[in-house]
Amino acid sequence: MSDPLVVLAPVAGRTLPLGEVPDPVFAEAMVGPGSAIDPDPGTSVATSPVTGRIVKLHPHAYVVLTGSGRGVLVHLGIDTVELKGEGFRLLAVEGDEVTAGMPVVEWDVTAVRDGGRSAICPVIALDAPMDAVHLLAGPGRVAAGADLFRWQ
Amino acid sequence: MAECTVTTPAGVGLHARPAALFARAAAKASEEVTVSRPGGEPVNAKSILSVLSLDVRGGQEIVLRAAGDDGQVVLDSLVAVIRDSG
Repeated sequence: MSDPLVVLAPVAGRTLPLGEVPDPVFAEAMVGPGSAIDPDPGTSVATSPVTGRIVKLHPHAYVVLTGSGRGVLVHLGIDTVELKGEGFRLLAVEGDEVTAGMPVVEWDVTAVRDGGRSAICPVIALDAPMDAVHLLAGPGRVAAGADLFRWQ
Repeated sequence: MAECTVTTPAGVGLHARPAALFARAAAKASEEVTVSRPGGEPVNAKSILSVLSLDVRGGQEIVLRAAGDDGQVVLDSLVAVIRDSG
């Protein structure tokens, strides 16, 4: 059994229960349990939620794998894969070792919304049991890099 | 061990939504299910982390393997998920 892992908010904004994400794949926790953030408008720097290695980096989503073998997915907006990277700038490279809070992607939140898509960012504990996640951030604003949830 | 090779439809491949459906379908299997690129290292198909890390894009070939008596049934369901992911 691993030690509990604190997962940090990758973007600043307003916290949302995962169930309010406008995509059933995330809302029904099909990808795993976690939380979500409705980000502040404008340019956003999305950071690593945990310390580890970026095992997958797309402009719109990334997975960081911790030393204890836990993967956290950050998905920037909903259906943003359709943008094929437009409005997103990589600040890191797949395979990089990162510490929690380090910048990974710079993206234009307002442009995502102007394109008719949701900018809500699910933050997911991949392959975790449904009851493994305990929220640390309350409802309301969260700063980037603040504690978001604990993965038991 | 039941095995088959399938090509993902053109499109974005096994990203979040299809990967979740794929891993969910694989998780129903009683025994081991793996997915790999042809000739590549098989990864656990029941793990969304593993499936996402494989980063299968549209129009790519993947090899599915399922052990156990229900292996072929599992493979059929996974092929259906992949076919619908385009």
